[in-house]
Amino acid sequence: MVKRVFEKPLSWIERIIFLDFIRGLSITIRQAFRKTITTHYPYEKLTPPKRFRGFFGHKVVDGKEPQPAFDEWVERFKIKVEHGKSRCVVCMLCKRACPVPQLFEIEGEKLPDGRRRVSVFNMNMMLCTFCGFCVDACPVDCLFQSDIHETASYTRKDSVLDLEVLERIGRDWQRRREEEPDRIWIDDHQRQRLWHENHLQLPEVKQ
Amino acid sequence: MEGLVIWLIVTFVKILVILGIVLGVGAYLTLVERKVAAHIQRRPGPMVVGWHGLLQPLADGLKLLTKEDLFPRYGNRFLYNLALVLALVPATLVFAVIPFGPEFEVFGVKVKPILTDVNIGLLLVFALGSMAVFAIALAGWASNSKYALIGSMRKAGIVISYEVVITFAAMGPLILAGTLSTYHIVQSQIEQGLWYVWLQPIAFVVYMFAMLAETGRVPFDIQEAEAELVTGFTVEYGGMKFGLFPLVEWYIEVLSLSAIAVVLFLGGWSPINIPFLGFVDPLFFLGPLSPFIWFILKVSLLFLFVLWLHWTLPRYRIDQITETAWKVMLPLTLLNILLTAILAPILWR
Repeated sequence: MVKRVFEKPLSWIERIIFLDFIRGLSITIRQAFRKTITTHYPYEKLTPPKRFRGFFGHKVVDGKEPQPAFDEWVERFKIKVEHGKSRCVVCMLCKRACPVPQLFEIEGEKLPDGRRRVSVFNMNMMLCTFCGFCVDACPVDCLFQSDIHETASYTRKDSVLDLEVLERIGRDWQRRREEEPDRIWIDDHQRQRLWHENHLQLPEVKQ
Repeated sequence: MEGLVIWLIVTFVKILVILGIVLGVGAYLTLVERKVAAHIQRRPGPMVVGWHGLLQPLADGLKLLTKEDLFPRYGNRFLYNLALVLALVPATLVFAVIPFGPEFEVFGVKVKPILTDVNIGLLLVFALGSMAVFAIALAGWASNSKYALIGSMRKAGIVISYEVVITFAAMGPLILAGTLSTYHIVQSQIEQGLWYVWLQPIAFVVYMFAMLAETGRVPFDIQEAEAELVTGFTVEYGGMKFGLFPLVEWYIEVLSLSAIAVVLFLGGWSPINIPFLGFVDPLFFLGPLSPFIWFILKVSLLFLFVLWLHWTLPRYRIDQITETAWKVMLPLTLLNILLTAILAPILWR
């Protein structure tokens, strides 16, 4: 069956009265008197959907780690688990998955009691493409991407996320949105919530 | 002697008023355009500077004035600056022959609210309109840039084609009025109790299209063509020099040509017309101010209509534009003139 996609050509009378112009003009005039649909960005900010790929964070240990993976990795690397600290087990899988591995600087340290923990975890956001491969690679659901999207900074140094900042983002995320079901954008009425409820001031501007 | 002094004072005041209105309103029309465009696209437009962005033109002007004055390498500096003058002066000069209202008396002096009521007013308008081609061609040539040159060539081609059309379109009302003076055209419309748009609908439509083409408005904004040519012949201009071209083209010229359209077809300062019966004035309570209000109302409605068209229609191709001018509009206007010239002496007067 042939589906005709062209409109019927205009007849002469329709051309003389500019029918196509009138159609377009009537559409625009109807739109002109409707309510505007914009968000006044610096004054109003929408909350991005939960699966938004923004700045990274480290979820902290709070008893909701994916089991048995977390216990297995802790057992294997003899990780010291502290409540309220990063879940990172220094497996380096995020760095392996990364298309630009230089952006990760990960180091572990050995404590006097023989256990280990992460000591340095720097992510250079200048190199990051926000592809999320590292998040997929993380076996203990530690590294994740948050909804923090206002990432401008005055110096290049401010765009490096260190362990403390990552943990801060993680704690904030777990407080705000951990329980929220994952939705896609169009039916997300959470989107209508404004952005100001996050407690973070990121990145910190150093004069 | 005393008459000369009074005449000088009156003329000086008229010049000040017209320049103030034209340039001040021209600047504020940028805000009007941005607001209309925004609301058609369901945005609020400028909202931050002043109440609903009311001070935005001032902020824009300050920004443009404090910007660096760039000049392209190997450009021709004299022509580059001359183009600005040639763009601004003729466009503003058109307002010298636009009648804003009927003759009135202040302190015993009879004042016509028109700068010079020359008896070839309309001819002057079209002569000055053709001057715009020089500004555009010079701007494109002096910039030493391919984009600018292509844009100016396109614009020059359009202006030359549509200058012919607009002149022939204006000929119809001219035959009916029997005079070239803008003031007397309006006078004769009032005396005959008839807006010429009722007798010359074809000429009016063609005039409106030619006006869009002359001022570089959509659907004829081929010289600007953001997607292809950056901004056409203004691409090498910076700061206020850049701001001047759109100001002249999009606002002052549209304003002056709308005013001419009102004079020719919509009866100038006369109130609403019922053909062959007379005039109905819902604004009678304003007394002697009412004609001026009517004139301003008509011009601003026409201007808003142009904006409305601009933000609705897509752009035509260059060959379609010139084809429409030479193959459709010109024969239509010629036919119109022919019919008017044959029928007017028989049925008229």
